[in-house]
Amino acid sequence: MAIENANGLPPSTPMASDQQPLLEGRTVSKYFGGLAAVNNVDFAVYPGEIVGLIGPNGSGKTTLFDCLSRLQKIDGGKITFKGRDVTRARPYQVARMGLSRTFQSVRVYRKMTVLRNMLISHQWRNTSLLHMLRPSPASTARRAHQLLDFLQIEHLAHEDAGHLSGGQRRLLEIGMALMPDPEILLLDEATSGVNPTLIETIKDRIRTLNQQGKTFLLIEHNINFIADLCSRVYVLNYGEKLAEGTPQEILQNEAVIDAYFGA
Amino acid sequence: MDQLSQALVSGLLLGGFYAIMVLGFSVIWGVMGVINLAHGEFLMIGAYLAWGLFRFFGIDPFASLALILPLMFLVGYLLQITLINRIVERPHLMTLLVTFGVSIALANLAKIVFTSDPRNVAVAYSGSFQFAGVTFPIVKTIIFAAALLIMGSLHLFLQRSRLGKSIRAAAQNKTAARIVGVDINRVYAITAGICIALTAAAGAMLSPTQAIFPFMGPPFTLKAVTITALGGLGRIPGALMGGLVLGVTEIFVATYVAGIGTNLGVATSFILLVLILVVRPQGLMGGLRPVDAEAD
Amino acid sequence: MTTAPPADKNGNETGKKARFPSLAPVHSLLAGWAGLALWLLLLLLLALYPYTGVSSLALLVGSQIFVLVTLASNWNLIGGMTGYVDFGHAVFFGVGAYIMAILVTGAPLLISPQWGFWQALPASGAAAALFALLIGLPTLRLKGPYFSIAMLGTLVAMREIVRVSRPITGGGIGLNLPPVLNRIGDYYLMLAIMGLVVSLIWWIQRSEFGQSLIAIREDEVGAEMRGINTTLHKIAAFMIAAFFTGIVGGFWAWQNTFIDPDGVFVETRTVEMVMMSMLGGLGTVWGPPLGAVAIYLLQNLLWSNLFELHLLALGVLLVLIVLFMPEGILGTLGDRSSTSLGRLLARFGRNR
Ligand SMILES: Nc1ncnc2c1ncn2[C@@H]1O[C@H](COP(=O)(O)OP(=O)(O)OP(=O)(O)O)[C@@H](O)[C@H]1O
Ligand SMILES: [Mg+2]
Repeated sequence: MAIENANGLPPSTPMASDQQPLLEGRTVSKYFGGLAAVNNVDFAVYPGEIVGLIGPNGSGKTTLFDCLSRLQKIDGGKITFKGRDVTRARPYQVARMGLSRTFQSVRVYRKMTVLRNMLISHQWRNTSLLHMLRPSPASTARRAHQLLDFLQIEHLAHEDAGHLSGGQRRLLEIGMALMPDPEILLLDEATSGVNPTLIETIKDRIRTLNQQGKTFLLIEHNINFIADLCSRVYVLNYGEKLAEGTPQEILQNEAVIDAYFGA
Repeated sequence: MDQLSQALVSGLLLGGFYAIMVLGFSVIWGVMGVINLAHGEFLMIGAYLAWGLFRFFGIDPFASLALILPLMFLVGYLLQITLINRIVERPHLMTLLVTFGVSIALANLAKIVFTSDPRNVAVAYSGSFQFAGVTFPIVKTIIFAAALLIMGSLHLFLQRSRLGKSIRAAAQNKTAARIVGVDINRVYAITAGICIALTAAAGAMLSPTQAIFPFMGPPFTLKAVTITALGGLGRIPGALMGGLVLGVTEIFVATYVAGIGTNLGVATSFILLVLILVVRPQGLMGGLRPVDAEAD
Repeated sequence: MTTAPPADKNGNETGKKARFPSLAPVHSLLAGWAGLALWLLLLLLLALYPYTGVSSLALLVGSQIFVLVTLASNWNLIGGMTGYVDFGHAVFFGVGAYIMAILVTGAPLLISPQWGFWQALPASGAAAALFALLIGLPTLRLKGPYFSIAMLGTLVAMREIVRVSRPITGGGIGLNLPPVLNRIGDYYLMLAIMGLVVSLIWWIQRSEFGQSLIAIREDEVGAEMRGINTTLHKIAAFMIAAFFTGIVGGFWAWQNTFIDPDGVFVETRTVEMVMMSMLGGLGTVWGPPLGAVAIYLLQNLLWSNLFELHLLALGVLLVLIVLFMPEGILGTLGDRSSTSLGRLLARFGRNR
């Protein structure tokens, strides 16, 4: 299952022209009233990459995620996923195609146990009516337990999700995003409110999953996290793409430094 | 053409009444975030009060406002301190259930006190006059004028008076209002008093134009929601505009859609409401508050 | 449940489970096969009950309670499990009742050969389900109070529409159905319908479909983003709830032999459904039936002691339940859709 990778690191320059982007946005725009939350952003994530998305508060990162995952109707542009135009798809449709995401304000089902949260987040692509009329099958439960184990929250399986701490909820949400065995994961500030040891765990898990072939798109304010994991970074500012490049290039970019630290 | 101008006038007159009818509902929602499902019942109470004063003391419904307004202000004030205060800023579900319960209780209380026989207030001036080839029913014209008058004074009160400014401040930002020394509970109680009084006044004015019965309330509550969705929360110009739009729409539907009587006004406003909510969940004027307080 | 309680860093939760630790296993046991077994046993006892030589009044009371239990369970499917608090659910009751009346009386203009009860009963349900589909497509897109109000509007509007559609519905005068007195038949029919509905809810609650409904209640955006076709699931739950409510409405019209707009499209019937579900426990399988029995007993108590005050008392009771039992009642709804709800309720419980 695990894909071999020569040095254990993601390919640093995936720009080989023969390669199709896994997830691509072209001139994506989203307005809230007069505010351009996302403005004409071009965007591509290639299979096997870990891509970072950074920018000051309110720069439109979450909104861009919402557009890519189809939670928000976009006001301009086009989004393709696995070569298919999904500009008008509904969120559950792109989810069934293999896109998973987490939310900046964690969304778990608080009145359900951790295990049930996991079970109900399985891959719905081939779920027949007959399946739906039965309790979750043992295979789903096995996968859920494996993932909980992988994320080190197996001991909480029978707790109500509403009783978990903030960091535990983030891990659960990542687990739920992994349940359907997605091809790409969009993580929105997966490390915020999480203690440093747990952050190391998350980093480690992302690396492992990436080696197994999963593609990642990460929103982060934690620059070290981005620098450690990502092969490419996009920078948004006021809804527009300010820069794009390797973490090293980005960190030396004048405009980026201005946006973050300047007036 | 005649029919058109007649329908327009009738619609505007009805709309004037709707505007005054909705104010109390819209201000309570706007200021306290309480969706008052018992709104129509307070209107019903106002109508019964007017009927009682007319029937037993011979007081004209419009003159009776002088009694009904202060009385119902007191009722609203007390209701706020005892009950509504407990649900202010609470989840909408809770608000809805409590006011729903109040509405059931009031309607059935009225049924016990007044029986379900319809009551009428037969004023001497129930006729109409002609102007420019259009018929103006006298009572409805008075209602329209009174509605404009009341809204005008309320507008002035909210804009100019200290108390009115406190109310507007409380509507916009409770915390800030508190910090600058506004006594929120008193402001709320006064607001509720004004709103309930206004609603009862609308019912009293309505009494000469339609039968009064214990279960007359819910259609008005529904219309109030529709108008609020049309015109926005807690704003007098919005209430006026929403009221006029609904009034004209209802009369036009009744006039021009074959086989539908005025009775279907409720259905009209329901369809309008669902259309608005589905197309623009935040209301036409962007006035409806986001109800899913999904603050991060 | 064997693990140590996790640190509650946010302090958002009131930790109901921790307060009644001994009840948790009972709950989970009853939600499983044990609950169903007990339920089937109860049904069996109820089926034997008429053989103890009871009066026809007792049979009438029995069928009335079964009606309430069925209505509460149905409402709970959409209002409790899916979290769409339907203030107009009585509209499906009314639609079912009218379809039954129109079909069996062969009401003017419509059908010449009158239908029998057994053909008309499923038709009542089907009509209500169809109505739910039409009305649910727009209204189920609304959130929170807007859905509640829109459904209340549907109820009020339908009452007026039925009132003015005199040629078909008899208008405000109502319709008379052929009087057929069969208390024992009514008893067994309602017993069967109730048995079916509650067992179905039990089944749904265990199934992935039921879990997806709860997920929608807890976080609709999250559910949609994780592959659940929320529109489809909501509509399906709504239609199922409406179908059986329509059946009950049809049965009620038949048993009552007379219906009019004010008798079937009535808010108090919705209030009953909401209160019964809440009192027993929203979103649970066995809560609404329990609540229904409790409310029936309470109402009869009120009815016999307060007579015409009893509807007034019902309204007051609703206010009191919501105000003074927020944990017992709303606590179960808790975090529905907005994360702040549970926090607000918790604060409410502490401060006042
Ligand atoms: N639903 C909405 N309605 C109106 N404006 C919105 C909405 N969502 C976001 N915005 C605005 O869009 C802009 C971008 O917000 P967004 O949440 O995408 O920023 P972000 O980059 O994720 O910020 P942060 O780092 O703080 O999470 C902000 O100015 C925000 O106020
Ligand atoms: Mg963000």
